[in-house]
Amino acid sequence: MTEVLLEAKAVSKRFGGVVALKNIDLVQHRGETLGMIGPNGSGKTTFVNLISGHTRLSSGSIAFDHVSLAGKNPSQVAKAGLTRTYQAVRVFGELTVRENVATALVDARVRLGAEAVDELADWLRISHRYEARAGGLTLMEQRQLELLMRLVQQPKLMMLDEPVGGLSSSEVRTMIGLLSELKSRCTVFVIEHTMKVIRELADKVVVLMAGEKLAEGSPTDILADQRVIDRYLGTADA
Amino acid sequence: MTQSFKTGGRIQGHSANLLLLAGFAIVAFVLPIALSGNRYLAFVAGVTMIHILWACGMNLLYGYTGLMPLMFAGIAGISAYTVVDLTANGWSFWLALPVGALAASITGTVLGLPSLRLKGFYFTLCSLVIQTVMTLGFIYFSGLTNGDTGFSQIPLPSLRGEPLSSLSYDLVLAAAAVLGVMVLIAIMRSTLGRRLIAIREDDELAAMLGINVTGYKMIAFFVGSLFAGVGGALYAPYIGFISPRSFDVLISMNIWLMVAFGGRGTIWGPVLGAALLAPLSFFLQEYYTIKDVLYGALIIAVIVLMPAGLLGSLGRTPRLPAAEIDAPVPRRSPK
Ligand SMILES: Nc1ncnc2c1ncn2[C@@H]1O[C@H](COP(=O)(O)OP(=O)(O)O)[C@@H](O)[C@H]1O
Ligand SMILES: [Mg+2]
Repeated sequence: MTEVLLEAKAVSKRFGGVVALKNIDLVQHRGETLGMIGPNGSGKTTFVNLISGHTRLSSGSIAFDHVSLAGKNPSQVAKAGLTRTYQAVRVFGELTVRENVATALVDARVRLGAEAVDELADWLRISHRYEARAGGLTLMEQRQLELLMRLVQQPKLMMLDEPVGGLSSSEVRTMIGLLSELKSRCTVFVIEHTMKVIRELADKVVVLMAGEKLAEGSPTDILADQRVIDRYLGTADA
Repeated sequence: MTQSFKTGGRIQGHSANLLLLAGFAIVAFVLPIALSGNRYLAFVAGVTMIHILWACGMNLLYGYTGLMPLMFAGIAGISAYTVVDLTANGWSFWLALPVGALAASITGTVLGLPSLRLKGFYFTLCSLVIQTVMTLGFIYFSGLTNGDTGFSQIPLPSLRGEPLSSLSYDLVLAAAAVLGVMVLIAIMRSTLGRRLIAIREDDELAAMLGINVTGYKMIAFFVGSLFAGVGGALYAPYIGFISPRSFDVLISMNIWLMVAFGGRGTIWGPVLGAALLAPLSFFLQEYYTIKDVLYGALIIAVIVLMPAGLLGSLGRTPRLPAAEIDAPVPRRSPK
């Protein structure tokens, strides 16, 4: 657990006049589950967009697995073994689940055999839906498919942007179960805007507030941190 | 209830495709022989074969990759003019054809570059401008194109010194159409096909999955333009006459209509569309005002009533979203 997998140094992002992220330093080790929390608009999604190559940095640097991600586009980042999900679920809606998975396999970093795909699909409880059109799945099933499409690529790091957003409370339980098992398959970075999910999953928590890092520490430390309580956890948003 | 990833899927669909391909090949090769007594009908069939080839190329770009290139005819024209110029300078047609087709491919790849930035409707608009400029170019560079007048009395190619008979050339056109469909089937069975469909469906998600969107869009343009180019090269000696109007935006629209009417993103829809619409324009030639109205009405009908086209609407589920010309998205940021 000592090897650094992801390292962001003084990462900043401005959108015109809006400063979305200001001087974020962050280190994630291999195998360590990192949780990022913060109210809506605090810059969590922007942070993932910067790392996955969807958005360009204004300043700062990001290294993944000892290699700089500067100038890399999303497909190059994916090839390096870093994958992500979207806050609003995103699958190829007009294609079947099987076709979605097959598409994920085409340019995967490591090519997985059909048995291994089935094993993952069984674990995610989606293998009975192979022939279904992805757009017709429930939100929960789409999130399961999303995870399957990422996992067949054998990523080193998976960044999840609010993976339980929009799910019912029983589905949230199931998803938390899946995600805690996911930790044994790859390193996980998870964004949530409540402490509930993070507390169960994360080894380390980073709190964002209006684009700045407010605090960092173990979930218990964070829950006890007076600044965090005053400025975030004490508010209705958390 | 669990299924396996490997089994099932597209195997069934593929054997159906091969059967249809065999049927199509038989029809394509028998037709010129059966019609050899009637030169006019044989000619209509030959022109239809060229349009089937073009429709396959347009389908690769529009139907499968989600790019609507309205400069498609212009790209075919590049090849046609190249071939006519080279053969006039003593080249063998069979050597000029690959050169012309390659010229079209390279041109198409370069002219497709705006699609890397412009999405949906914006690229279509841009391609319309490109087509207009190409048409002007065909008029302007009269040293190469003979300007507005164009070239006439382009001879049929010869083989071993002997000019080909009309029937032999009809068979060449049939072979080109069959080969075009075969290549399209092969592409869509390959991982290239998967990548193109992924780009059509959601290019940002495709990139996230490691697909080199830029590279594969360029490959799509290269291959699609190759179809345009081979068709253009074959077209010139068959009609015997080319001018800037042979490759203007109306021709691009016609080819697009064949794809959209038949069913974009299916192998056989555009073939059917070309087989129905290419002869139609011959049979309506004398009523050209009706023809234009009919074509206009057909374009509207396809867009409004059956966006998935004939075969797309008959197929199991409508596989494609209603609007391909998507709403202008101001660089959607992933949320
Ligand atoms: N593409 C963009 N253009 C302009 N502003 C943006 C863009 N993306 C995000 N922002 C702004 O950046 C800030 C952080 O947003 P976001 O990262 O989505 O927050 P979170 O995911 O924590 O809710 C917000 O003020 C948002 O309006
Ligand atoms: Mg967000």
